[in-house]
Formats: sequence, C-alpha cells, structure tokens
Amino acid sequence: MRALRKKKVEVPIVAVTGGKGGTGKTTVAVNLAAGLSAKGLKVMLVDTDVDGPCCATLLGVKLENGDAVKTFKPKINEKRCVGCKKCVDVCHEHALVGLQGKTPRLFEELCSGCKACQLVCEYGAVEEGWKTIGKIYTAETNGLRLVTGELEPTEPRSPVMARATVLRAMSELQNSGYDAAIVDTAPGVHNAVAQPLWVSDFALAVTEPTPLGAHDLKFILDLARELELPAEIVLNKADVPGGLKDELLSISRERGVGIAAEIPLDGELLRSYISGEPLVKNSPNSPAAKALLSLIQHVHKRVKGGET
Amino acid sequence: MWRLKEIVVASGKGGTGKTTVASSLAVYLAKKGVRVFTADADVDAPDLLLALGGGRTLFSIDIKESEKARIDKSKCTACGKCAEVCPFGAIVAQNGGRPVVVELMCEGCGVCRLVCPSDAIEVKRTDTGTLSVQETKYGFGCVTGKLKLGEHNSGNLVASVRNIGRGKAQDAASDVCIVDAAPGIGCPVIASITGADYVIAVTEPTPAAKRNLERLSKVIEHFGVPAGVVINMSGYSKDFETALKDWIVHELGFQFLGEIPVDYEVVKALVQMKPIIELNPDTKASKALAAIAQKVGEIL
Repeated sequence: MRALRKKKVEVPIVAVTGGKGGTGKTTVAVNLAAGLSAKGLKVMLVDTDVDGPCCATLLGVKLENGDAVKTFKPKINEKRCVGCKKCVDVCHEHALVGLQGKTPRLFEELCSGCKACQLVCEYGAVEEGWKTIGKIYTAETNGLRLVTGELEPTEPRSPVMARATVLRAMSELQNSGYDAAIVDTAPGVHNAVAQPLWVSDFALAVTEPTPLGAHDLKFILDLARELELPAEIVLNKADVPGGLKDELLSISRERGVGIAAEIPLDGELLRSYISGEPLVKNSPNSPAAKALLSLIQHVHKRVKGGET
Repeated sequence: MWRLKEIVVASGKGGTGKTTVASSLAVYLAKKGVRVFTADADVDAPDLLLALGGGRTLFSIDIKESEKARIDKSKCTACGKCAEVCPFGAIVAQNGGRPVVVELMCEGCGVCRLVCPSDAIEVKRTDTGTLSVQETKYGFGCVTGKLKLGEHNSGNLVASVRNIGRGKAQDAASDVCIVDAAPGIGCPVIASITGADYVIAVTEPTPAAKRNLERLSKVIEHFGVPAGVVINMSGYSKDFETALKDWIVHELGFQFLGEIPVDYEVVKALVQMKPIIELNPDTKASKALAAIAQKVGEIL
C-alpha cells in the first residue's frame, strides 16, 4: 500500500487524528506546531478538517482572502446538444437528468466533477463550467505557516476539499526548506480523514478515556494499519474522574501501538483554548503544557532523527 | 393525523456532546410515554448504542452502494491513459508503468473505463458499510450505520439509515425518531438534515465551537429546517456564554433550548454506558437535560 504512494516531498508529515470528535486533536496539533516552531524548526500546520476547521481560531489568526477551490461542472451548450443522453447514462452520480431528444439538466450539488460527461459527448456540447466548493487560506503567525481548507457550507464534498488542501500544502512543502508539517484531520475514519493520512509519515491518534473514545480509537488505528501508517496514541484528559484509562492502555498493548503522551485535565488548557494562544506559550508550567512539551520533544526526535 | 417526526442532533464541531444529548433525550421522552425510535447517522464513529448500553441485534445487512474501478491485468497494455484522466488521483502507475487502482481514493466515476483503449477496466459495486437494527433495554429500537474504513459514500449510508429508521419507526407507530448525526457540515450531515422536522445543534461556549455552529447554521437554513441550540459544558466564562446566547437567538435566529453545566457525572455515565439522566437524575447535568428534553417535547 505504502509503495503506491507517490510522495513528492521529503518533509516529514505528522498527522494528528483520533476517530472521535472533541478529543483534543486541534489542541495537540496547534501546540505541537507552535512548540516545534519555537525549537527553531520551520513548520507548516495544515488544517484538513474542512468541515470544522479550528486551527486558526486556536492560534488567534484571522483568515483573509482565501483561494477558491473550484471543481469542474458541465455546462451544456443547448445549440450543440442533440439529446443523445449519453452524458446522462454515463453520470455515476446521477447529476445529469434528461430524456432522449432533450437537453439534460444538471443537479449541481450531486456533480463530482469527474468529466465523464465531457468525455462521452460526441458533439462538443459539454463545455467547461466551474463551481467553488471551498477556500484555502494561508497565514503566517509567529514564524509558523498555516494552511487551512474550508468547505463552503451546503457543499457536501469534504473529501475533495480535504484532498485539495493536502495538495496545496504538498506543493508549498516542495523545495521551500520546511523541517516538518503537522496535519490536523477531521474526526471520523471517512475519506476526508484518509486523504491526509495517505500522505503522512506518522500519525498521532488523540483519544480520551471513555468507551466512546476507546471504540473510535480502534477504528482509526485500523485505518492507519490499512494505510501502513505508523501510529502512536495521545491519551488526552487522561485523569478525568471515573475515566477508563486502563482500557486505552490495554488497546495500546494489544495492538503494539505506543502511548506518545498522557495529557492531564488542566483548566489552563481550556483558558488557552478560548484565548487563542497555544498552551505551551501561554502557560508552559501548567500540567498539560508539561505533557505537551514532552510530546513536542518526542516528535522533534522522530522528525529530526529521520525515524519517520 | 399521526406523523412520525424526525429530530436530528447535530454539531459543527466534534465532541460537543451530541450522543449524550441524543441518548438522554430518547430515554427521557420514552419515560414520558412518547413512542421513540433512534438512529445513529454518525456512520464513522457510531456511538449512540454504546451510550445506551448496547442492545439485542434484530438484523444486520451490508450496504453496497459504492463502486470501484478494477483493472484486468491480462488486458492492460500499461498505456497510462487511465492514470492521466483519473480526477481523484486514484490510479497510480507502478514500476514498469502498470497502473494500480488505489481503492481508497477511487470514487467509481468510471472515467478510466471510458478512456481505456483495451477495455481492461470494469467498475464494480463494492461495500459501503453495514446497517443494523437493535432493540435497546429502554424498549425502543436503534438503527446504526457503520461506514467501511476510508469510504466516500457516507451520504448514501446515512440515507439508508434514515430510510430504515423511518420504516422501523413507522412499524412501531413511533411518534419521534431521534437521529444522532456526524460532526461537521459535509455530506453525511446534509443527508441527515434534509427533510427532517427539527435540528438540535449542540455547541460549547468556545470561539472554535461558535465558529462551527455558525457554519452549521448556514446548512440548516439552506435546507429550511427549524432549529434550536444547546450549549453544553457551560460554566467557564459567564460573559462569553451570555453573549453566545444572545447571538444564537438574535443573529442565528434559532431557539435557545438550554445549557448543560460541566459535570464529571457525565463521564461516569459514559463509562457505565447509561444515559446520565438514567444513571443519576439528580445531578446538575441531568436536570439541565431534563429541562431541555421537556422543551423539545413541547416543540413537537
């Protein structure tokens, strides 16, 4: 599987993922990026949670002037169309609908932009149209490069938007002297999560000690294994009262997946989350910051040691 | 006339407490005599049944709505045209130029098949995921979808979950089907919200959650579904929370259904796999959830 991956960049890419939502993926990603950057590394933080991007908010960055991500949509030239219906029959998403002898109608929200309709039309009646499915924003903050993909609300194609964000990041990572890229993913194990994992060298699966956290952690570890992607677990909210830490430790043992960090509950973490400044900068002596700093050290070794 | 109502519990951001709200709402309404059915449309990470303490499986089926390209090696001449046209980067030329389909990336559009000069490519139907119906210990049913790892077609699976849920709920003459949606605003969320009767958007009093609530509100508005908001894990910052409530009502134009204070009893409930309202009805989170559930009952 990994052999099929044509990686065009040499920069180590670390994915921060986790299966369940709200376990602290973005908190870990933002602190990791800020911490590595503070160690003098040239770091890019890529937010591929295109449904619910939060990196910019957590860094207190205002996003402006995004680049539109456009996908193909057919524009049917009525004068040329003979109503042969070939485009309708070939459309996998049933986005083109029409009767024999009539110009087909496009249901734009269903179109995947695959261009099959254009390929089969013998009359040159399927012309190129474009639709915007989202925007990619970039920003610089404290020496850190941020690339964020945002799906346009009401557009359904998160995987396409996530892939566009990944490709944009990869093109920037080529030949520009980066030491590492940290990629924050969406929750879940669907294709918009698989897209960034596909290009990553190493994954941190952030979870929490509840049955739901454990349940979803197994899925994301399964996906990482399917992608032959090395992974480690970040146990967040590790000491939550009544939590199921032991169950997570046994998943770690059974699967031979190490625990990269245990982050305790910490009121300071919440304050930093709200204030828009990473905890490791905001209050580096708090218990959660100490755990994050040791995680940063761990990832720094992996990235610089060429182990990824 | 009797008609089944569908209530969707959604959230732009993950981990705000959708499943906690959905499970407690279902149990509360069921105890009040409302005929309840539940559906887990978070097909990536279906946790509703876990929160309800599991159930007895009535049936389970495979959903095969996905399609993937297959290359017949005996016919392939390694011309590379398929890899060139694939809009999803799903066909990769290996050493020696022989193309291989990376199934994970393939959307099954069939463009590769159209350009293949040696008729070596077929597009075949494959698994999207599974769907199962369980009977919970609270007497109501729960339909759960589970997407295959890395799959694309979550919207299709969610549509199947809702269809089966609606059918089963009607068979049981249910008054309401509570749908636990995926986090985010993409395909599975759109498939959950379209045509529903009411959306409960769960959020937290943080700037990140607020921003994603705003994004979700655009989707809810677009599909014309009435909605109310629950603020979960409140109590960090009174000023922020007051401003948030005001913004929900006046800027978003949604109902404010109530707030649930931070309460570690909720973690205990998750660990014991019982809705908090059932495990400990007197804790502050349970009281807040009961008030919210009552409000939702009145809206219906």
